[in-house]
Amino acid sequence: MRQAYLGEFEQIVLLAILRLGDKAYGVPIRAEIENRAGRKVTVGALYATLDRLEAKGMVHSWFADATAQRGGRSKRYFKLLPAAQEALSGSKAVFERMWEGLHV
Amino acid sequence: MSEPPKLAERLLRFLVGGRDADAVAGDLRETFDTSGAGRLWYWGQALSCLAVRFSLYRRAIPGIGTDFSRALRRIRRNPGYALTAMLCLALALGVNTTLFSFLDSLCFRGLPVAQADRVVQIRRHDLAFSTWPEYFSFRDNLRSVEAAATSLYFDSMEVDRTGFETDVETVSSNYAHVLRLGTALGRWFGREAETAAERPAVISYRLWQTRFAGNAAVLGKSVRVLGGSYRIAGVARPEFSGTVPPFATDAWLPVRPPRLGGGSAYLIGRMAPGASIAGVTAEMRVLTAGLRAAHPGEEILAAPAVVRRYAGIVADERHSPFFPMVTLLGAVSGMVLLIACVNVANLLLSRAAVRQREIAIRQSLGASRARLFRETLAEGLVLAAGGVLLGVFFGSGTGRALELALPSIPDPIWHGLRLGIDWRVALFLAGAGMVCALLFSLPPALANRERTLGPSMKGQAARHFRQREIFSVAQVALSLTLLIATGLLLRAADRARHLDPGFAYDHRLFVNLWAHGKDANALVFPELKQRAREIPGVQDATLAWEVFPASGAGCAAATRQTEKKQVRANIVDPNYFDFLRIPIVKGHGFLAPSPGAPQAIVNQSLAQDLWPGEDPLGKTIWMGGCYIGGAADKGATVVGVARDAKYDAVNEEQQLLYYTSREEDPGNGYFSLLIRTAGDPRQWTRSLLELVQRDGRDLRIYDVDTMENSVARSLWEVKWQASLLAALGLLAIVLAAIGVYGVVACSVAQRTREIGVRMALGALPLDVQWMVLAHGLRITAIGIALGLPLSAAAVRLLRGFLYGLSPFDPVAFSAASLAWIAIAMLASWYPARRATRVDPMTALNYE
Repeated sequence: MRQAYLGEFEQIVLLAILRLGDKAYGVPIRAEIENRAGRKVTVGALYATLDRLEAKGMVHSWFADATAQRGGRSKRYFKLLPAAQEALSGSKAVFERMWEGLHV
Repeated sequence: MSEPPKLAERLLRFLVGGRDADAVAGDLRETFDTSGAGRLWYWGQALSCLAVRFSLYRRAIPGIGTDFSRALRRIRRNPGYALTAMLCLALALGVNTTLFSFLDSLCFRGLPVAQADRVVQIRRHDLAFSTWPEYFSFRDNLRSVEAAATSLYFDSMEVDRTGFETDVETVSSNYAHVLRLGTALGRWFGREAETAAERPAVISYRLWQTRFAGNAAVLGKSVRVLGGSYRIAGVARPEFSGTVPPFATDAWLPVRPPRLGGGSAYLIGRMAPGASIAGVTAEMRVLTAGLRAAHPGEEILAAPAVVRRYAGIVADERHSPFFPMVTLLGAVSGMVLLIACVNVANLLLSRAAVRQREIAIRQSLGASRARLFRETLAEGLVLAAGGVLLGVFFGSGTGRALELALPSIPDPIWHGLRLGIDWRVALFLAGAGMVCALLFSLPPALANRERTLGPSMKGQAARHFRQREIFSVAQVALSLTLLIATGLLLRAADRARHLDPGFAYDHRLFVNLWAHGKDANALVFPELKQRAREIPGVQDATLAWEVFPASGAGCAAATRQTEKKQVRANIVDPNYFDFLRIPIVKGHGFLAPSPGAPQAIVNQSLAQDLWPGEDPLGKTIWMGGCYIGGAADKGATVVGVARDAKYDAVNEEQQLLYYTSREEDPGNGYFSLLIRTAGDPRQWTRSLLELVQRDGRDLRIYDVDTMENSVARSLWEVKWQASLLAALGLLAIVLAAIGVYGVVACSVAQRTREIGVRMALGALPLDVQWMVLAHGLRITAIGIALGLPLSAAAVRLLRGFLYGLSPFDPVAFSAASLAWIAIAMLASWYPARRATRVDPMTALNYE
């Protein structure tokens, strides 16, 4: 089977979710990307990517029950599906092979 | 702490939608509260949700699946009501589909060829662009367009010694190349046809099927048509029926340059890559300037070139005779659709009435209005989808029924019409279905909105009822209007059928001929007439320049100095008046010519117009001289006045007309030979044609037909309109009757308890029946009261179709109203009977 291709931003988002574990919803994901990758991300761009990843079967999302915080709005949590793990390690392997013996 | 901007949040909800929007708004709120970012930041983030909105992977609106599955479940539980709604809609949509296909082939449909949107027609107003020699002179120098030329002829085709009537296009040899035409059999001719020893012909698929039984041996067969011999080289594709709709071409013949004296050539072209309509128009203008310089005084060249995309039959021709009819049909079918929508809305409302407890409970448990609206819409969409599917089924049925039922459509004219369902029609149908779904989802949804919870939960609400009654009244009013319009048109059609054309047309046959050279009149035609008289069974024969329907025009004035007015003219044999039984009311017919004393006969209207209150006999009428290149100014003595007759159409306004004698006026080579026969004139077609072919070697034969056919043909439009409207009116009545029935039946169901109490207290069945019946009649009465003024306003538009009948014809108005009362009584009768069968005990336990 052909390896599923992941864009750079998709990889970053997936890795952020992976790092956050069971605390992965909108706000922390954006914070994680901002802190580690040094990128400002709009909610629109983030959720468009998350919807796409979900459609591709890379992540799964569910709504948590609403709490008194943040105006009583529920949170949408994300977790990685096995396909994402596979695609991520595939991408990593590709880069490692391409970098082998190179210095820039 | 400041609040995030409300408007931005609303935008966000609009863009993302559903529960997803809740999560995003929550995220933003959290960041907004903790990081203290400004309102501007919030706006930017909300706008960024455009990316979510337009993402290909956007998540479906949450809950939409539930809406539809609930709608389906509700429909499954009450199949009767759903089926009624779908049937109502399907009937209306089916008829609309047929009408739309009709309108489509009249107005919008392009040719069935590759890249049809690049095909243009080039004309001068509605006239041909050029003559054949001109076409051959410029065809190879065109840059923006590849142009083919075509002319249409009606002639009998002869194969294996049998002849039959055909419509023939003579075309330039590049015709098939320009239109990128394919064949079902054999091949099209190309440039080689201009020089080949044997001239090829391509026949239509229809002709192949009807005349040659689809036999492949047709290739290579020799046919005689238009005075020449051709060999069949191919059969066109079934969908292609020529480029001169509404006529359907039976055969295509190549024209060889220079084709002198061959008359006018219509141009049809394919725009070169990158060329535009404007570009082609500009080139044609330059070309016209050149042609004008080469042919000074040519009247046809004065009109500017018109280039337009090839579409439909009447595209852009607002003055077309089809146009009023097209508008009328469009309006009427829209009305039928509206009635159907009101009907379905009514049904949905009564459903809502039944469900009001459920809805009230759900509302009190927190279901939002938007949610309830979406559910109604989903239900509407499901019903509309069912209606559309059934409508396609009905549409193909009604199309066929319409084709069969339409009376006396002249054969050649409507072969070009296609009433089938194609993708445009399907698209129209789907669109109409969507609009319907919206239209009939609105009222129940609005009704939901205004509900106060208390009484609804107890199961009492009077609102719906009012609303539904109003709908029913509207239906009655609308369909009454249609009924009155239909009645008017039927009466008008009946009137038109008895219109007197003013001449005798039974047992008469004519053949239209053209002879080359000015002396043909004196030599060929009298000889032909004499021979025709000798055919066994022929009682008389005559010659005339024009036969009904005639368009021959001339100019006339009472003195040489006054400006001439355009009138009709005909050149006839002395026995013409006797032959057609047109009485000479004053003076006498044409006498033998004497040099220097030309004679003229005028009709009553022209006599009245030129010499009001005077005796026209002996007066001089001045004729001709008003056309460039027309006959010169000349005077003639009026020797007689002929009774008025119809000349071009049975329903035309009375025309002014003068006759000159064929023995004095050479005409322009065109004459019709008319014969009167002992029996059915069609039996003489063959012998007349044989005579003309044998004795008039260089004659061109245009058309052979009975005069009865010509007269009937002039009436087909009237009959056609009336029968079409009658069908639509009937449909509207059926729909509206269902509506009244629905309202009354539902009111009975809702008043079961009340009726039970009444019966238990001793009301007689008759009283209860009357109560229910009165309800139906009340709706009808109000509907009629509103419908009459509405009709009075609407039927004024029909004036042009009524042949002198007043649009306020009392017979049509009262008959329609009475018919409606009868229908309403019928529709209420069944619910009324059912009401008295209510068992008081059951009724009291109801709920």
